[in-house]
Amino acid sequence: MQISPDGNLLDDLRSVLGDRVRDGDFELGLYGKDGSVLEGRPSLVCLPVNTDEVRQIVKICREHDRPFLARGSGTGLAGGAVPVGDPVIIATAKMNQILEVDLENRIAWVEPGVLNLDLTKELTPQGFHFAPDPSSQQVCSIGGNVANNSGGPHCLAYGVTSAHVAAIEVVLPDGSVTLLGDLAAEPPGYDLRGLFVGSEGTMGVATKVAVRLTPNPPAVRTLLLDFPDVRDGAATVSAIIAAGLIPAALEMMDKRAIEIVEAFVNAGYPTEADAVLLVELDGLPGGVEHGVEVVRSVAERHQVGNIRVAADNEERELLWKGRKNAFGAVARIKPDYYLHDTVVPRGKLVEVLEKVYKIADAYDLIAVNVFHAGDGNLHPILAYDSDEKGVLERVHAAGRAIVTASIEAGGVLSGEHGIGLEKRDYMGMLFSAHDMATQDLVREAFDPEGFANPLKVLPSGSRCSDSFGQHVPDGAWV
Amino acid sequence: MKEIAIDLGIPHHDLVSCVSCGLCLPHCPTYRVTQEESASPRGRIALMKHAESSGFIDQEFVGFMDACIQCRGCETACPAGVEFGSMMEATREALATQTSYQPWWRRLGYRTLGRPTVLAFASRVLSLLQRIKVVPKKLGLPQIPIIQRRLLASGTDVWLFTGCIMDAWMRDTHRAVQRVVEATGAGVQFPNKAAACCGALHVHAGLGDEARILAEKTMTAFPGSAPILVDSAGCGAQLKDYGHLLGTELAEKFSRRVFDVHEWLAERLDKLPKSQEPRGRVAVQDPCHLRHVQKSHQAVYQVLAHFTEPLGLDDEGLCCGAGGAYSAFHQETASQVRDRKIESIKRAGAPEVASANPGCLLHLRSAGVEVRHPLEIIDSIMTKDG
Repeated sequence: MQISPDGNLLDDLRSVLGDRVRDGDFELGLYGKDGSVLEGRPSLVCLPVNTDEVRQIVKICREHDRPFLARGSGTGLAGGAVPVGDPVIIATAKMNQILEVDLENRIAWVEPGVLNLDLTKELTPQGFHFAPDPSSQQVCSIGGNVANNSGGPHCLAYGVTSAHVAAIEVVLPDGSVTLLGDLAAEPPGYDLRGLFVGSEGTMGVATKVAVRLTPNPPAVRTLLLDFPDVRDGAATVSAIIAAGLIPAALEMMDKRAIEIVEAFVNAGYPTEADAVLLVELDGLPGGVEHGVEVVRSVAERHQVGNIRVAADNEERELLWKGRKNAFGAVARIKPDYYLHDTVVPRGKLVEVLEKVYKIADAYDLIAVNVFHAGDGNLHPILAYDSDEKGVLERVHAAGRAIVTASIEAGGVLSGEHGIGLEKRDYMGMLFSAHDMATQDLVREAFDPEGFANPLKVLPSGSRCSDSFGQHVPDGAWV
Repeated sequence: MKEIAIDLGIPHHDLVSCVSCGLCLPHCPTYRVTQEESASPRGRIALMKHAESSGFIDQEFVGFMDACIQCRGCETACPAGVEFGSMMEATREALATQTSYQPWWRRLGYRTLGRPTVLAFASRVLSLLQRIKVVPKKLGLPQIPIIQRRLLASGTDVWLFTGCIMDAWMRDTHRAVQRVVEATGAGVQFPNKAAACCGALHVHAGLGDEARILAEKTMTAFPGSAPILVDSAGCGAQLKDYGHLLGTELAEKFSRRVFDVHEWLAERLDKLPKSQEPRGRVAVQDPCHLRHVQKSHQAVYQVLAHFTEPLGLDDEGLCCGAGGAYSAFHQETASQVRDRKIESIKRAGAPEVASANPGCLLHLRSAGVEVRHPLEIIDSIMTKDG
């Protein structure tokens, strides 16, 4: 049931933000969705421009006993930014300034709405970049990266977001502003910064982030390897790592993925191959050339077809453009897709992939696989047409089967997209009630009353204070 | 807010083709300056979906739709190939026919574009006002001549489309284009007054019926089979779309004869004289209707490279904010969008700037950017090189 915002809440927020509080019927709907298929509806949308405004919004929400939800670019895939329980949305997109770049200490202070790729583009001429590079890199925000502890192809060698965030200024759910973490290398005390990164907005709102800057590698080589059989591709992945090499990125695409990606980018992806590996090596020139030889010899032992080495930066960027646009390009087969995100042990890649195809067949769906093979992070995409009657039930059932297969193979629920709303009720597949109650205690230390992004991550019932409405959004499979 | 019944008439298949991944957001000029969902392609499509499923809109919806520049940068960015432009055109047309979206004074303005005599008269008045210095400089209008010298045909090999505003205010650009085309050995002819206006601005405004009438008239002014060259990216995109707009075989055939003048020249570079060294650097602003709609912006670089050292900008073809009539009706947003473009132009660090569209030229000039049509730059190099 929808609770209409009471007039005082609107007036109080307007007194701080003026016309940057939105309550129009059409506009509210736009903040009910992220990049997933889930949909909810916020009670109000606030568009703050600085920390103090965020602080005041949180304070006013508390006074009116109303939860809040921080949103970045709204590209998440697990429904983390989908409003449940009629929250006030705090959209941080307008907080998009790069405040300070300190090359000497390799730190940049940025606001949460800065786009990931904008930051890297700003730093590139100075010889640095921000290492986490999700596929949505061109549009996802640093705040969103912090919330989800986002990964990306290059996180195989460089580590995920948590490794690249030194400190965070946070508005806590009680309305106070604090700094988590420290610019010092080994700050004393509990690593609360580490706790906040990946907390999916349930511990407060990040308002400034000190990110670590990574020097651009002196040499880069990008290889595209094609295989007549997806099994050979997967075996090559394990063999490369077993050979002692950790490439900067090690990505895999199956036949359907190759076809749709090639239709979008025309980069010469081999559409006749059963699978391709996109391998990137970086570092000092000598090491990189050695790496190329290792990859080549390993691949040759696994029935590789062609090995294409990108001749220049332009070709390299084109290949990556294909990889990074793969999800959206799925719409070339079917208008809707459900993108999954699980992790399995590298050695089980082939086994689980085969199960994924079988599951898709069983539910009469099309499966497309594009994933971070190097760290076993699967991204099976189920393509479908929501106009088909009853298709969503099949998609959800197939999704559950894929998650189950991954966990049975010794994997986990989510690699990088987060739990959000999508996998909230799957937590019990991986954690005992005791585990979840313990996690809830941690959350309660930050947010005892459950104001921050309520009803996400932990299933209802794992905490004693689910005090807000339980409106289940359309399309949710909770 | 008051509800208005509406039927946007957008095919369901098109509406659901957007999966709301958000990859269009950074490539949308209005999202870039507002960071608001309602000003993004993904947001606008979601709004259209909402309108179609409920059958109602409100004034807020109209404002959101009117705020789109229709640059179609989102189409280039979209991995799913969503055809945003046609959905926005359908929405604007539904608004113009079913609501009070286009007030009488705007309609009057658009009507003037298709009436060469009225436009010439209005331009002459404007020219006189310029001379007594009551027209603000920031409008960026070129010095409009009181007496227009006629364009003289030199043969029948190709047509050069002249258009409305461009012919009234920037005829010297046509002359420069004519000289460059003639340097390949081709003779140029000009259409009669039936080709008064291509109708692009009318389509953008949702005035579909007016646009279709203008299209039918324009087609009559180009008899024969000679190629029709266009030196305005916006007009070229529109003329190439007549087949789709009118849905007739005749219109399809007509559209196939249309080329951006740079496309045509790029095939004939060997017939042009080579430039003397050293070559000057030229920053190239890609007009959206060349890059995102016609997808033929590379031809501008090819032609410029024959005489200069062209440099692309680093903003991936983000719109400059001109958008035909957009910059007149949405001055604040248009100038914020333009600020980003100007920063990008500065980073390119070239002494000369080129743009192949009159709207972009005027919009950038009104902010003090010295920018010329690529073929004006080439014409002056050829004249100098003799």
